[in-house]
Amino acid sequence: MTTMAAGSNLLVDLLSGPRPAEWDSLREAAELRLAGRDLPTTQEEAWKYTDLKALAAISFGPAPQATVDISAYLLPEMVGTRQVFVNGHHAPHASCASAVPAGVRFLPLSTASEACHALGTVKNGVTPELFEDLNSARFEDGAVILVPKNLKVALPLHLLFLTKADAPIAVFPRVLVVLEPGAELELVEEHHGEGTYLSCPVVEVRVGEGAILRHERVQREAPEAFHIGTLKAEVARHAQYHSRTLSFGARFSRQHPWVRLAEGAEGTLDGLALLDGQQVADTHSFMHHAEPNALSHQLHKCIVDGKARAIFNGQVRVAPGAQGTDAKQQSRNLLLSETARVDTKPQLEIYADDVKCSHGAAVGQLDPEELFYLESRGLNADDARNLLTYGFAADVLQRVPVASVRRALRQLVMARTQAASLGVLA
Amino acid sequence: MLSIKNLTASINGTPVLKGIDLDIKAGEIHAIMGPNGSGKSTLGKVLAGHPAYEVTGGEVLFEGRDLFRMAADERARAGLFMGFQHPIEVPGVSNASFLRLAYNKKAEAEGRDELDPLEFDDFIHEKIKLVAMREEFLDRSLNEGFSGGEKKRNEILQMAVLEPKLAILDELDSGLDIDALRVLGDAVNRLQRADRALLIITHFPRILETIQPDYVHVLSGGRILKSAGKELALELEERGYDWVLEASAAGGAR
Repeated sequence: MTTMAAGSNLLVDLLSGPRPAEWDSLREAAELRLAGRDLPTTQEEAWKYTDLKALAAISFGPAPQATVDISAYLLPEMVGTRQVFVNGHHAPHASCASAVPAGVRFLPLSTASEACHALGTVKNGVTPELFEDLNSARFEDGAVILVPKNLKVALPLHLLFLTKADAPIAVFPRVLVVLEPGAELELVEEHHGEGTYLSCPVVEVRVGEGAILRHERVQREAPEAFHIGTLKAEVARHAQYHSRTLSFGARFSRQHPWVRLAEGAEGTLDGLALLDGQQVADTHSFMHHAEPNALSHQLHKCIVDGKARAIFNGQVRVAPGAQGTDAKQQSRNLLLSETARVDTKPQLEIYADDVKCSHGAAVGQLDPEELFYLESRGLNADDARNLLTYGFAADVLQRVPVASVRRALRQLVMARTQAASLGVLA
Repeated sequence: MLSIKNLTASINGTPVLKGIDLDIKAGEIHAIMGPNGSGKSTLGKVLAGHPAYEVTGGEVLFEGRDLFRMAADERARAGLFMGFQHPIEVPGVSNASFLRLAYNKKAEAEGRDELDPLEFDDFIHEKIKLVAMREEFLDRSLNEGFSGGEKKRNEILQMAVLEPKLAILDELDSGLDIDALRVLGDAVNRLQRADRALLIITHFPRILETIQPDYVHVLSGGRILKSAGKELALELEERGYDWVLEASAAGGAR
C-alpha cells in the first residue's frame, strides 16, 4: 500500500510550461529522467519519514517577476557584493556587485552562459535526485561565481533568494561556484520569502586544489513554504569546503548536501534546525571520502518543539583505498515538548581499513545537571532552560565568520528560544 | 548564618546523610573532611538544592529562613553559593555574558542597580585580577574546553562576582596545581569578611594551609564523627582518617 495517492499532478504541472532558454542538453537530460516519474512516497527508504502529501495537494504555478523591498536583508559587509533574485528571476536594481574584486566573476547565470559550461557537471555519483532534475529542467536564473587562481577574496559574497507568492508558485534557484586552485572565498546564501511556494534550489560547488570555500546557508523561508534543496560539492586535493546550513523557516524543508573529498581535502557539513508547530526539517547528507587522507566533520543539531519533527540521515562513505580517512559525525537533538519527534540515523559505509570514523547521535531533553548549575547561580528554572536552549543552538553559530550574519542569527535564535530577555548578547 | 539540625537525605532511596548537626556563624570558616563516599559532597549539594537528593528529615535555617522552602535559584539569590567539584560546560553562552546575567539576577533580587555591558566590563576586569584569570576566558563559552584548573578558577570568579554570604566550596583543590591553589586560596581569603562564612569541603588537608578553618569536622557514613579546631586537619594529614573512624566505632571520638 502506498501512503500517498499515486498520480499527483505536481510534476506534470511543473513541467508543462515552456522550457526556459539555454542549457538545452542539461534540461533535456533532466526531463528524460523525469518522464513518467512521480513524487517519492514514504515507501521509499530515503523518504520514509517525510510525507509529501501536503506538497502534492497544492498546485504551483510559474513564478512571475516581482519587486521586493530588500532593505531589511542588506548586510553591512556585503552591500557591494550581492546578487539578489526574486521569484527565481535576477533583480538587477536590488543587486550590487561594485565591490567585487577584479577577476572575480559574480553574475546572474542568464548573462553568463559562456562562463558556465561547468553547470550540471558536478555529479553526485548516482542518478540525480528528482528535485535536482526538476531544477535542471526549469530553473530560470541563478548565480555564477568564478574565483581565479590564488585569489583570496577579502569581502564575503551575498546571495539573496527572495520569494513573494500571492498565489502558490514554484521557484528553482540555481548556483554554480567555482574556485580555481588556491582561491579563497566566503559565501553567504540566504532564502527568504512570503506566501505559499515551493523553493527548489540547486547549488553546485567546485573547490580547486588547495582552495578554501566557507559557505553559510540560511533557510528562513515563509511559514507556509516548502524548501527542497540540493548542494553538491567537489573538493579537490588539499582543498577545504566548510558549510553550515541553518534551517529556521518553511513548513517542510529537506536538504541534500553532498560532498566529495579528494586526497587530503577537508570538508565540513554543519547544520542547525530550529523547529516548532508542525514544521518538518529533513537532512539527508552524504560525505564521500573518495580518496586517502581526507578529513571531515559534521555537527548537526536540531531543537524541536511543538509537534515538529526533525530527520537526519548522515551517510559517510569511505571508498576502497581511501586510507587515512578521518571522519567525524555528531547528531545532537533537543526535544522541547512531548509531541516533538526526531529520527536520526548515521550510515557509515567503510571500504578501507586504516581509517578513523566516529559518529554519535543523541536525542534528549536538557541535562538536569546543567540546569542545576545555572539555577545555583541564581537563574530561575525558566531562564536556565531558555539559556541552555539558546546555548545549544548558538554553539553552531559561534564559527559563522561574517559578523553581521552571526549577530542576526544569534538574535533570531534568542527570539526563538525565549532567551532574548536574558540579554546575554553583548 | 547556617543552622543544620539532624539533617537526613537520600538519593534514589539510599540514605546518604544520616543526621547532620552543624552551626556556622558569620565570620567563621568551617571545613568538612572525610574519606571518599562519606557524604560530604552530598551535604553541599543538598544545601545548594540539587534536585536528585531528597531531604528526608531535619531542618536547615539559612539567615533564619527555612532553606528547604527555597528553590535552588532563590537560595543563590539569597546569598548561598556552591563552588562545584565538577563545573558544567555550557557551549554557546559566553562566560562574560553569563557572569553579568548572574550578577544582575542577584542585584535585581537585592534591589540594587543592574550593570549594563560597559559597566560590567569595568567591574569584571577588577574581579579577574583577583583570581589571575586571563581576559580571553571571558569571551569563551562558559567552561567549555576549560582545563580542570581553569574551571575552578572560574568558580572562584563567580564567587567574587556574586559575593555570597555563605560559600560552600566542594573539592576546590582537585585539578589544581600548587600555584593555582595558592592563588585561589588567597582569593577566597580576601573575599571572606566578618559578615560572611565559608564551608570548605575537602578530602585533602592541603587546601587548609591556605584557607585556615576555625573548625574542622570529619564526616563519614553520613554523620559528623568528630569536630575540632584547625589542628585536627594537621592530625588528619599525619594519621589519615582511620583512627577517627575506629575511635568512633569504639564510641570514643567525640
